[in-house]
Amino acid sequence: MDLKIGVYIDTGYGIGEALDIESLSKVATKEMKVPICRAEAYWSDPDKLEIIKSDIANEGVNAIIIAGPSPRVFQEAFRFDGIITERINLREQVIWSHPANDEDTQMLAEDYMRMGVTKLNKYEDRAPFDEASEKSILVIGGGITGMTAALEAARAGTQVYLVEKEPQLGGWAAKYHKVFTGRAPYDSIVDSPVQDKIAAVKATSNIKVFTGHRVYSIAGSPGMFDVIIREDGPWIDRLVREQNEWLEAKKAKEQIGQEDEQKPKAAAAAETPAEEEAPEPTDFPHEKVRVGAVVLAAGWRPEDASAFADLGYGEYPDVITSVELEELAKNGKIKRPSDGKEVNTIAFIDTPNQKADHPLLFSSSVASLVALKQAHYLRQTNPESRAYIFYENMRTPGQYEKFYQAMQDDPGVFLSKGTPVGVSNGGSALTIELKDTLLGEHMKVKVDLLVLSTGMVPATKDSAIVNLKYRQGPFMPENVYGFNDSHFICFPYETQRTGIYTAGCVKNPMDFLTCEMDATGAALKAIQCAELTAQGRAVAPRAGDESFPQIFLQRCTQCKRCTEECPFGAYDEKPDGTPLPNPTRCRRCAICMGSCPERLISFRDHSVDMIGSMVKIIDVPDEYSEKPRVVVFICENDAYPVVDMAGMNRLEYSPHVRFIPLRCLGNINMVWIADALSKGIDGIMLIGCKYGDDYQCHFVKGSELAEYRMSKISETLQRLALEPDRISVHQLAIDEFNKLPKIIGEFMERLSEFEPNPYKGF
Amino acid sequence: MPNVTVAEPDLQFTKDLIAAGADDLKKCYQCATCSVACKIAPDNGPFPRKEMIWAQWGLKDRLLNDPDVWLCHQCNDCSTECPRGANPGEVLKAVRKMNIQANSWPSFLGNLVGTPAMFILAAGIPIAVVLFIVYVSGWSFPSGPVHYSSHSINPATRDGFIYLPLLQVIFTLALLFGVVSLVMSLRSYWNQLESSNPIGIKGPGKGFVSSLIESLQEILPHSTFKECEANNIRYAAHMLAFWGMIGLFVTTAIVAFNYDILGLKPPSQNGPGTVPIKILGNASAIAFVLGLGIMTIRRLTNPEQAGNSSYFDWFFLFTIFGAGATGLLTELSRWSGFIAPTYTLYVIHLMFVLALLLYLPFSKFAHLGYRTVAIAWSKSVGRSRPLPVVPNYVPPTSE
Repeated sequence: MDLKIGVYIDTGYGIGEALDIESLSKVATKEMKVPICRAEAYWSDPDKLEIIKSDIANEGVNAIIIAGPSPRVFQEAFRFDGIITERINLREQVIWSHPANDEDTQMLAEDYMRMGVTKLNKYEDRAPFDEASEKSILVIGGGITGMTAALEAARAGTQVYLVEKEPQLGGWAAKYHKVFTGRAPYDSIVDSPVQDKIAAVKATSNIKVFTGHRVYSIAGSPGMFDVIIREDGPWIDRLVREQNEWLEAKKAKEQIGQEDEQKPKAAAAAETPAEEEAPEPTDFPHEKVRVGAVVLAAGWRPEDASAFADLGYGEYPDVITSVELEELAKNGKIKRPSDGKEVNTIAFIDTPNQKADHPLLFSSSVASLVALKQAHYLRQTNPESRAYIFYENMRTPGQYEKFYQAMQDDPGVFLSKGTPVGVSNGGSALTIELKDTLLGEHMKVKVDLLVLSTGMVPATKDSAIVNLKYRQGPFMPENVYGFNDSHFICFPYETQRTGIYTAGCVKNPMDFLTCEMDATGAALKAIQCAELTAQGRAVAPRAGDESFPQIFLQRCTQCKRCTEECPFGAYDEKPDGTPLPNPTRCRRCAICMGSCPERLISFRDHSVDMIGSMVKIIDVPDEYSEKPRVVVFICENDAYPVVDMAGMNRLEYSPHVRFIPLRCLGNINMVWIADALSKGIDGIMLIGCKYGDDYQCHFVKGSELAEYRMSKISETLQRLALEPDRISVHQLAIDEFNKLPKIIGEFMERLSEFEPNPYKGF
Repeated sequence: MPNVTVAEPDLQFTKDLIAAGADDLKKCYQCATCSVACKIAPDNGPFPRKEMIWAQWGLKDRLLNDPDVWLCHQCNDCSTECPRGANPGEVLKAVRKMNIQANSWPSFLGNLVGTPAMFILAAGIPIAVVLFIVYVSGWSFPSGPVHYSSHSINPATRDGFIYLPLLQVIFTLALLFGVVSLVMSLRSYWNQLESSNPIGIKGPGKGFVSSLIESLQEILPHSTFKECEANNIRYAAHMLAFWGMIGLFVTTAIVAFNYDILGLKPPSQNGPGTVPIKILGNASAIAFVLGLGIMTIRRLTNPEQAGNSSYFDWFFLFTIFGAGATGLLTELSRWSGFIAPTYTLYVIHLMFVLALLLYLPFSKFAHLGYRTVAIAWSKSVGRSRPLPVVPNYVPPTSE
């Protein structure tokens, strides 16, 4: 595609006063050969936009560069149909962070001009991938969450397939005695409305319900998932067993890998395909459907109650779980399991299993709410009764505070923080001893019944459920707490398997109303995914992105690094060992671009060549000028806003650094490091998101991979006879802008101890 | 071995507290804002936080033996600051009422005074007794200038309105009854404090007498009360009423001594006198009525600061303010030369005074005894000493 570039320099915001605009324009027109370059104040003003539109119409401009405020602002204003827009950040990252009319500031602006034009020149014109167009939705799980998701999607006009393993719909919600009301004043509980919901699902024509069925397998990708639905039967046990064996083998292999990282690549590769099973027989009766997206609402199961053995569960019949109490409460007055006598006193312990691996699973707001709700059962059926609730944290979010207050006002409800120490049976009553109570001392209470909050284990803990036919295995990847999400804080519905959205208790413990709300959100996300996919666009976090990865397969060495490192399982594998991309699974993070040692993966507006050329166009003054040059690769999601915020706060830092934003720090390709150093760049910094268990990376592990790759860079540096300390990797959270000048300053200080890069001028 | 409490919540006690004005006690979620807001709570085991959870959990024994409730002067800082609207000040007040009732001797009189339904009976007793005295005295207003006391019931030799010997006998008996009952109640209370010690503080142990002297040094100038800055008009009002009452008591004692023992007639029966005893009496009466008047008006117009007023509060305030107000009105009426109104007011005044004496140990009036005893007990065990400062304490830093 022949680009005719127009550069529009904004002289507003003080840019015109702080920089030599004429000289900057010359860089564009003379040095970079841009045909049109105009300087005006405030290009986002409607009358100035008319000038750009006129250039597009009359001069044949088809690519524009706005050199002015940060690309994070005025995105809509500078969007023209069919026109490629590039932004150069002269405001936040140049004049707001550096002194006006200074030689170094001017050099910085001119370098950004060179880099911006270079970047645009490397743009490749490629049509979006829009071959996948199926828009129906599969909902797995027929509980309150699944039914709500199905109904909401169906009401939006989508064809829905609802799969429930039990013979009837309803799930847990059908087993509860009462649920919370979603209406003001929020202080009472009502009969579960689940039967109405079941009727509504059955009455909706565009929902096809499969009860007593399970998902046998899901192949394909968003917009073209091929789902096999099979009647529940013993086959599931075999499948789960096989999957678990696969998982064990995978873990064992990873452990070996960790112990012996230097193991030859060939040996590792040889182990990989060994787990391939004999092809599954396909002669069983099944239903095959094609869907665009999936809502996974498989729910939860109670934690194995043997975890409560130290509190007398199993030993005393009157120690029960909160799930068991729901059953007891359905019969009106609550009777003791041991002797059938009416219960007058109950103690509820909302965090009975303090030793659980993942406490979040077992101590949630649901535990607090259920204890309050069940105390209400007792108090309503027996006015003389007493309910003790011992909690670790009383969590009643949102309007549930009203219910908590109502229960607190009941004189027969006694609340205290407390940690159970032990339970003993004193004949007619249980004695519970607790420590850390609000009385400031150990406490004993005598009760007829002890109710322990049930831990809510997500269904995906026991089996894959979705049974994916992906190279990376049948399972949904889980986070440190055992839930299937990716970057929960910013993208709560997204998982690491694109097009599959979790909702309800499979995602985290939720109460009835939250499940309904969550299901609605997931249904809308699934619809959005199918729609975007049909248009060839990405879903969150890069929603709307039309680019997708292209691999120059002829030179692929089958190293499998792209398939292994993709956080979203976008690559399957061809029989010859080369990657088989599934473009609609792709989130466009471009981590694969960084992982490919042969530099074969590129996006139309983001490629190894593009970034490498930007590095190479930087003007590097000679070694006697005392003007070092540092390239800073920054993640555009969090680190880029950090740099902008430093500018907004007028924090100054070295004008010798040049920021290059990446889609994710995981894009970092080793060749850029070599490019930069051989060009004479003195140092390289990488700033990405925090990683680890509480990662903030939008793409789960990009910044972690970048750090890993940099740990392997010393070899390259030794070859160039350079100090390894010329490279440094940092993590910044989005609010840590005030740390930026410090880390840059420290790095510049460190560099000043070295000689200038000897490759300058080559 | 940590102290283990077997919690057996007394649901009825919690309900009684709620009925006694602690309507919102269940709302507390133990954030401790109250104890921080309180300017006079001791550092070790501060109130009212612990009282709040005891009240919620119906821990009757603890609350009835908790001297801390009497250290509170109900400035209501805690209730104002409470984020949950649990009104800790009201809860402590209700506990104080339960304290008085629980220790009442004889106990049925505690119920008589504390139960709204029995108001007619509680009011009827002093009314009936005074009417009986009036009846015996002749059941009519004597002619001539106002002269309250008569030394004869014979109409011929009657030289005043009320037959004095009878009045003296009955009122002295009533006073004796009140004082003996109060002493019995307080003795029971003190013994409970000694035996239960709910706060768990074992001080060096000071004697009762020295603790009492120390307490009085604090009570007479209201020095702790004064620390309740948020509500210092209350302090001023109580100070007026308190010293007014003492002044009236001294006046009465001197006049009675002069009249009955020395046989001296008061210097002037009719008209504002200038002799010291008259000045003391009138000044005390004005202070007394002024202080109580302020309290009444504040209770009526500013419940947020004055606290919600329960029947128990009103019963006492009505009695004591009534006694003061009718006394002053009687004097004014006499100065104005009204005969019948003066005698009528005097009769009503006598009824109020009798109620005050009779119900001393059972009404809120008893707080003068309980508070003194509780403060003395706290001093005797070293309650209000601040906690020792932990040396080299480094506050935990985040991250």
